Amino acid sequence: MQVEVSRRKFLQGSISLSIVGASAISATNLFANNDEDSGGGNSSIPKTITTKTGTGKADEVPILCGMCVNKCAAFARVEDGIITKLNPNPYFPKSRNMLCPRGNAGIQTTYDPDRLKYPMIRIGKRGDGKYKRVSWEEAYDAIVNGTDKFKGLKQILDEEKDNRATIGYCNGEGLSKEGFEVLVGQKIGTPNYVDEVSICLETAGGGFFSTIGTYPEIDFEHADYLVIAGANRAEAIITPDTLDMFKYTKGRGLKTICIDPRFTNTAAKSDKWLPINPGTDLAFVLALTWVVFNENLQNEEFMKKHGVGYEEYKQHILSHKYTPEWAEPICGIKAKDIYTIAREFMNAENPIYYPGRRSVLSPNDYQLRRAMAIFQALSGNMDKKGGYIFGNRGLLPAEYVKQPIYENTKERFDTEGIAFPTLKSGSWIVFRNMILEGKNPYPVRAMLMRKHNPMMSVPNTAKTRAFLEKMDLNVVIDILPTDTAMLADVILPEASYLERMSPVKSYGFLEPAVVMRKAAIKPLYETKTPEVIFKELGEKLSKPLFEVSKKHDKALQELIKEKGEKVAFEEGGYNLAEPFEKPIEEKNEEIITEVFGKKAWEIIDEKGVYYPHIEEYHKQLSPNDFQYYPKSKRKYTSRGDSLKVICKNDSLASGGIDVMPTWHDEWKFSVPKGEFRLITGRHAQFTQSGTQNNMMLRDLIPTNFVWINQRVADKMGIKFADRVEIKSEVGAIRLKAYPTEKIAPNQIFLLHGFGSESKGMEFAYGNGGNDATIIKDDIEPMYGAAVMHSTNCKIRKV
Amino acid sequence: MKVGPLNIPIKEDFSLKSILDFEKTPLNIFLAVSVLTMLAMFAIGVITYLIHGHHAYGVTREHPWGLLIAVYIFFVVSSTGFCIVGSLGDVFGFKRFEMISKRAIFGSIVTIMAGFAVIAFEIGHPVRMMIYNVLTPGLTSAIWWMGTLYGLYLTFMIVEFYFLLNDDMKRAKIFGLTGLLVGLAAHSNLGGVFGFLNARTISNGVYYPTYFILTAFITGIYLSFIVMGFRYKLNFDDKVKDLLEGLAKIQGLLIAILFFFMTWKLLTDMYGGMPNRADVAHHMLHTAPFWAEVIFAMLIPFLVILKDFGKSPKLMFFASLIGMVGIFFMRYNLVHDTQVKPLQMMKLTEYQLPPEWVEYFPSATEIMISLGGLGLCILLYYVGTKAFNLDATH
Amino acid sequence: MARYGMALDYKNCINCKACEVACKEENGVELGAEKHRIWVGGNNPEGQWPFLDIASAAFMPSQCQHCEDAPCQEVCPTNATYYDENHVVRVDSDKCILCSYCMNACPYDARYVDDRTMTVDKCTFCSDTRLARGETTTACQNTCPTKVRTFGDLDDPNSEISELLRTREHFSLKSHLGTNPKLFYLT
Repeated sequence: MQVEVSRRKFLQGSISLSIVGASAISATNLFANNDEDSGGGNSSIPKTITTKTGTGKADEVPILCGMCVNKCAAFARVEDGIITKLNPNPYFPKSRNMLCPRGNAGIQTTYDPDRLKYPMIRIGKRGDGKYKRVSWEEAYDAIVNGTDKFKGLKQILDEEKDNRATIGYCNGEGLSKEGFEVLVGQKIGTPNYVDEVSICLETAGGGFFSTIGTYPEIDFEHADYLVIAGANRAEAIITPDTLDMFKYTKGRGLKTICIDPRFTNTAAKSDKWLPINPGTDLAFVLALTWVVFNENLQNEEFMKKHGVGYEEYKQHILSHKYTPEWAEPICGIKAKDIYTIAREFMNAENPIYYPGRRSVLSPNDYQLRRAMAIFQALSGNMDKKGGYIFGNRGLLPAEYVKQPIYENTKERFDTEGIAFPTLKSGSWIVFRNMILEGKNPYPVRAMLMRKHNPMMSVPNTAKTRAFLEKMDLNVVIDILPTDTAMLADVILPEASYLERMSPVKSYGFLEPAVVMRKAAIKPLYETKTPEVIFKELGEKLSKPLFEVSKKHDKALQELIKEKGEKVAFEEGGYNLAEPFEKPIEEKNEEIITEVFGKKAWEIIDEKGVYYPHIEEYHKQLSPNDFQYYPKSKRKYTSRGDSLKVICKNDSLASGGIDVMPTWHDEWKFSVPKGEFRLITGRHAQFTQSGTQNNMMLRDLIPTNFVWINQRVADKMGIKFADRVEIKSEVGAIRLKAYPTEKIAPNQIFLLHGFGSESKGMEFAYGNGGNDATIIKDDIEPMYGAAVMHSTNCKIRKV
Repeated sequence: MKVGPLNIPIKEDFSLKSILDFEKTPLNIFLAVSVLTMLAMFAIGVITYLIHGHHAYGVTREHPWGLLIAVYIFFVVSSTGFCIVGSLGDVFGFKRFEMISKRAIFGSIVTIMAGFAVIAFEIGHPVRMMIYNVLTPGLTSAIWWMGTLYGLYLTFMIVEFYFLLNDDMKRAKIFGLTGLLVGLAAHSNLGGVFGFLNARTISNGVYYPTYFILTAFITGIYLSFIVMGFRYKLNFDDKVKDLLEGLAKIQGLLIAILFFFMTWKLLTDMYGGMPNRADVAHHMLHTAPFWAEVIFAMLIPFLVILKDFGKSPKLMFFASLIGMVGIFFMRYNLVHDTQVKPLQMMKLTEYQLPPEWVEYFPSATEIMISLGGLGLCILLYYVGTKAFNLDATH
Repeated sequence: MARYGMALDYKNCINCKACEVACKEENGVELGAEKHRIWVGGNNPEGQWPFLDIASAAFMPSQCQHCEDAPCQEVCPTNATYYDENHVVRVDSDKCILCSYCMNACPYDARYVDDRTMTVDKCTFCSDTRLARGETTTACQNTCPTKVRTFGDLDDPNSEISELLRTREHFSLKSHLGTNPKLFYLT
């Protein structure tokens, strides 16, 4: 008997199986479409969920993975217009001929039955999921002119007298992110931009950058001692770090000390695991530093040469008496372990204190990064083989955009409580909260959102909802009906990463390369690639918005008087579509040919990767190993004498920030009795809310469970898979419990990215708990980045 | 007596009407309704299976054999048991037991047919099986031997029954002996199906192939009490009493041997704490079905026999009914306990409990098909009693 | 004609399960947690927080061991399970009657039922996909982030796997059962 389960039926079947007796979600709204919907163009939807690869003719199209931020290179195997397999690309040094589970499951993202398939405009109330399928023309028109349900940009801007800052926009990480920033930020002209940076790694980047000039890469191949604190490279995969690190752990050359509150898979691969109290890593590093100075273990010569304020820092550490004994009660790590690690670290040939890029977890994260960078510098193992690598710059030049100047546009205002606000991406939390609290000096009335799901990614979902509900116009460009899309007035369906060519991207560091994503298949349904959307939206908006400027912008009025309207429009850069007029295919070829020559284009077009001498350097060494650059051509040292280690940064004083990393007792870890500190993290099979509807990955992680210490759970009568409610001061969620000894008795952990409330995503809907609902919207003082580990929760069985 | 096709003697009054014609006592009506219900369940179960395949069953990757395998074994053991009991008189010439031979041989035919009916819906591709059993026989496979030999066995049993009906005792004896030998070979091969499982330490070895023969005999005697009890409505004449007393005494001996077998099996399983054997044996001891097996299939009937050395045939009838319930658990336990220890003891996803014991509970479909098998068996037997003279004629 | 085997540098394994997904996508394996040809096993670490036993938390990638003396092959009544010309243990789904005996006999839990064909399915070392196209790696080896796996011809003394097995200590799973597995765990 042949049973062929269709994608849609598979979902429905498993849902109805899991909720016995309950009928499958009715397909009355537009988001739940049937399999009969055919794809657009020449592409088609495979009939089976997984497709066995064939032995006949197939295209191998170079792509860049879009399942997370790493951008690993791969080849899509395309048979009869269907992507049957994604294989790792052996030419890209960064991803080293591998694809992780999410990368492999990318096919399921493209063929997700719940994909946004055509443009839609809202016809019901916000959030009730009632949308009308429209043409792209109608959708663009709704953005410009609005409908009877919502206002368009033209009217909003007219009412705000051409203050472009009344438009806010956000965008998630990705290769087309820059294009969206060009369209909305530079061409439409609003400064009010927020993105993933202020809810992610802002202080990690900022701390390292402001101390040693960059966020470094690591040469694991030659390193011999590793302290990996607050980073989980076995599960939060970063290329090439993950790929390199674990070939040398477990007694094979890289002694590894894992510092993490949780027993992660990284802990499982380490030589020693020390559970630290959340948010106290700074005290740990300061104590390590104290041991080094106290016992004079540092590379004095290196620090004398490169350190700025080095002597003062030494005095600062010693005089504050940051001893291991002092740190022990703060961190929960024994003093003797701290002594041992400090000594072993400094005695090692090539020790690494892993920079560990991740979300901001504690308010002192910026200072932690500074202290980490300085501690690494004390070993002298920096800008050299086996150490922190500063490497090369990228291989491609920046692009120039003709940017109009809007006289009436106001500056951004999201600076409250922030010492050094970043002009570019701001602070999501401060931006949102100031608007909610009415602290914005002018109205922000529209949000243009692309590939970003703040309803699930920004702490305190209730506030995000209120913020989005306040807007006159919400536009969402995405591939799935996310929780954020359900609050949109206009939804534009984008092509997934396998259906589009993206702008070429260059990577620097030890083995630089340029990579390019080609389209494996044509966009499915009525979706369009981001660059085409930017161009068309730009075209539709140009004239109407120019009219608004003409009405309110005195400088423009004078320019028109002087040069005439046509010239003013062209020269002033008011043609918003202008940066996107050339198709991305042509643009990529032009850039590559211009910088590297025609042969380079042929290579990158075929292999997806190019770097100078690739044909000579790239070799297969064994079935598993490739050489990208010969060792002699790798630039282990690039800063040389110019390397500065800023131990003391006086400029920070103006913002009220410590000029040297200093511990403050308010950062001590404490949890009221009966409560738990909520900590977050990652598993290798899941990329936040973006993969929550992926049918393949849900086999591996069906839902998010909340980790609770086994003995505590026993006492509370909570067993595996019991439903519990987790309640913080900002919200409550319900999900299943996972009692385990891998977490401390006063902490709980849950995976981020579950608990969608969008009925448009059949699997993700109502599955697990959304941590953003319960995480408090605290910020750190440097950039106003979200702090993820400051929330205490109560837990009870339901 | 009238003569049917192929010279099969059929009762004069055999017709559809005669089948529907039975004494309308409450018990008989209850039995009739039960059988019809079970047959209806069979139909529903089979339809569900045809629509949903193995999804309709409680079987999993870790527990691929479920209730239907147990019920199949239950029926084929019953068949072998009937065959052994039937052979006592026919083949071995024990006069005392001759009067049950025809009935027992007929019983062995209907039980194995019920068994085949059930297994047909457990094996994914029964038709394909018949083709490739011949085209590419797996001669190292105990299932191949078991299946093939049971096929032969059924043929021999039918032929023997034919000669019995025609009172051709000489030929009946030849086919009876051959059938018995083939049946025993088939049956010990069924034990071998489990005994050959290297990976399943608890079942691996010589125990099951021999134990299957022993328990088949025991099953045959219980069934004999049951069919004779119905035949004579518990009003046994002296001749029957004599027969049943003899069977009861043999049964006493057999159960005693079984106690001996089981005790030593369990002791050797547990002694020394050998992994995958001792732990499974301990686990078994803590499950209700194990004790159901011991108490129903062994202890209660044994005590009844000991009471007066098998001189209470009426009590033995009821003890045998209980005994058959125990025998069912015996088969179920055998199948379940073989698979209860996971072969893969690591966690395959983060969010699961570490594998401990494989859980299995039969699905409604499996239960319906199993009961259907029982209904089919009873119906066939009933029709047989209407069609054929199953009593001894000489 | 080759004798294919696989060496696993299992200490590299981070339990990311890329191999599992690659296998499913390459070979068109059914979705469902129970439907897997290959897998990575892990254990809860022994001990209580904060004293957890790192050594007890190792990860073990596994799959069909492609035994030289495969119990699953021996018990198959219709010879649906067979050794192909490269000593890979395969199932001929046209002959499989789904008696499930092999699933019970395999000591490694390496077999499952494919609901689409209603026959038993298992790892093929990508024989009918990648190898059939002339590729030299399996999907699981090729995708592995930390390069745990090396697939190759055990009869070819020049192969990478032969070299690994000559030079690295290794063990096999449940070899006391006399199955002669062709998966080798490098220590």
